[in-house]
Amino acid sequence: MVNPPVISNARLTYLHDEDKFLPLQAVDTHHIVSQRSILKPIVIYLFVTLLVVHAVFLHFKKGKPVITVYWSLLFGAFLIKLLIWRPIVKESVIIMPAFGVQLETHYGSGKISRSFIPVSEILKPVLNECVTPLTCFWCLSLLVRDEEQLTLVFKKFRPPLKMLVPIWKALCAATDCKESSELFQEDG
Amino acid sequence: MKNIGGMHKSGFIEHMEPFNDLTMWFDENGIDSAKLIVNSSSFRSSEAMESNHGRHRILMVSDFFYPNFGGVENHIYLLSQCLLKLNHKVVVMTHAYANRSGVRYMTNGLKVYYVPWKPFLMQNTLPTFYGTLPIVRTILIREKISLVHGHQAFSTLCHEALMHARTMGYKVLFTDHSLYGFADIGSIHMNKVLQFTLADVSQAICVSHTSKENTVLRSGLPPEKVFVIPNAVDTTMFKPAPQRLVMDPIVIVVISRLVYRKGADLLVEVIPEICRLYPNVRFIIGGDGPKRVRLEEMREKHSLQDRVDMLGAVPHAKVRSVLNCGHIFLNSSLTEAFCIAILEAASCGLLTVSTCVGGVPEVLPDDMIVLAKPDPSDMVHAIKKAIKILPRIDPQEMHLRIKGMYSWQDVAKRTEIVYNRALKCPNQSLLERLSRYLTCGAWAGKLFCLVMIVDYILWRLLQVWQPDMEVEVVPDIKVSRSKHVTEDHSST
Repeated sequence: MVNPPVISNARLTYLHDEDKFLPLQAVDTHHIVSQRSILKPIVIYLFVTLLVVHAVFLHFKKGKPVITVYWSLLFGAFLIKLLIWRPIVKESVIIMPAFGVQLETHYGSGKISRSFIPVSEILKPVLNECVTPLTCFWCLSLLVRDEEQLTLVFKKFRPPLKMLVPIWKALCAATDCKESSELFQEDG
Repeated sequence: MKNIGGMHKSGFIEHMEPFNDLTMWFDENGIDSAKLIVNSSSFRSSEAMESNHGRHRILMVSDFFYPNFGGVENHIYLLSQCLLKLNHKVVVMTHAYANRSGVRYMTNGLKVYYVPWKPFLMQNTLPTFYGTLPIVRTILIREKISLVHGHQAFSTLCHEALMHARTMGYKVLFTDHSLYGFADIGSIHMNKVLQFTLADVSQAICVSHTSKENTVLRSGLPPEKVFVIPNAVDTTMFKPAPQRLVMDPIVIVVISRLVYRKGADLLVEVIPEICRLYPNVRFIIGGDGPKRVRLEEMREKHSLQDRVDMLGAVPHAKVRSVLNCGHIFLNSSLTEAFCIAILEAASCGLLTVSTCVGGVPEVLPDDMIVLAKPDPSDMVHAIKKAIKILPRIDPQEMHLRIKGMYSWQDVAKRTEIVYNRALKCPNQSLLERLSRYLTCGAWAGKLFCLVMIVDYILWRLLQVWQPDMEVEVVPDIKVSRSKHVTEDHSST
């Protein structure tokens, strides 16, 4: 069993584990985890603590109104939410060949939302370039039978192409789609 | 500006064989692909050209492209196709049309970015000056573009993209497709914008010598920088009818947008007069527009319903069959930089009668066209002359002559020469470029300099926020035609 590579960039890390405990069937799991630095939270917490202590000092020693303490607490909470809080911690794709694909989103609050798509419903996994008014990025989506819209595999994260390609290949293998096209359709 | 999350199925790129190349590319490179992305995205124009041995990577920018049909749209599409055949890489950038948004691929792998900025006036994107900077920068880096080619002075997206490309150090080209006046407020404004864009362009292309003169006067660009490359016509599509039409009745065809600029008012005067003088002449009018009502009224007034057919808007694919119904093509435009319509008509073997405006005299040889002043009586006289010389015209011979004179492959080769020239232009620093803008006018010059300085600052800020190396380069995808259908059948 080859040790799976770990690909990462500044914001996201890609992890791949294959569960070979079940004989004849391997459950293939791919995770995209948002990066967590160690130094940054320490610095931010220190700063917020100093800010609150300073506000308390101003209130008790210098006689400033108690609202200063409340404002500093609020501002500290806001900073923490903005700079440290990760609304989404991890997004996973669990591929069970010949059975289906499960998409999971792990939130920072501990909530996990899951959605399962049976393999018979999946027409094709596609790597798609999404264009927004400001930028352009790659996204991995599934063409699902009877659905008008593409189902995004990673709903919030925008992993780079180097992370998406192994997952796409695994999805193609699991859903039995040939990686090359059957028909080239010309647009226009 | 919402993020495009769940997308309609029609928005995805057609899944192609190319992704074999993509996966192989990543297999070969493995985790080190991060380093590769860093190296390839730091390419700049001259280095890109040298390493690709003369193969250019061109970004065509305009507000006017498929699914709209028109002179500029066809020019961009056909030129891009011919450049692709010459082994260059071409990417087109335009705004989104209705629900057509995102990346699309056209024939031979022509990649089109329909950027979701909605048009606000006459097909033009809302001019926000700096709003398009992020998306233009992203496209230029991810496609490793070496050259940006803008089309049409009236396109705001073109002007903005050229401005941003210049700020980022890319070489820039501009093609002007229309003639503009000097007197009215719209033209004055447009000319000032053009002056700004062309102050710092590497080279410019015009579609006729008259257009070159007009562009040079409007923008103050030195004439040495302007090349003249006329448009062409697809002679494989525009062929004469296999059987020569009988001479009775003589059919005169008009296909144009029925607007003031195209001389629809002249038609209203000319048609009844010709119908009165020649009882065996019929008219076919294709096209739609605000002046259609006037033509319908003319028909009613002179009871010409059986002699004048109004077809309404004619789709581009049907133009040939309409032209093949006629003997003479009538063009009454009041202004025209280069008239592709008369070229299409001549390719179909029709004798042309046209107003002598703009670049029209440069298009066809004297024996294929009868010119007239844009005046009803002069036009009637010209049509009389055309009817007299009509028996001497051989449509097949005319078609062969046009085939020898005009081809899009020739236009592409000449454009390639201009690209090579543009890429040889020296790189200039911001200060050198600013000095060029100062010559645009007392107040305008300073304003333009300010605009460019702000653009430069915004670009640098954008580079800090999202460094160049974070923008992923798109692997080159080779499009292969599908042979699978026949192979599958034979194997079963």
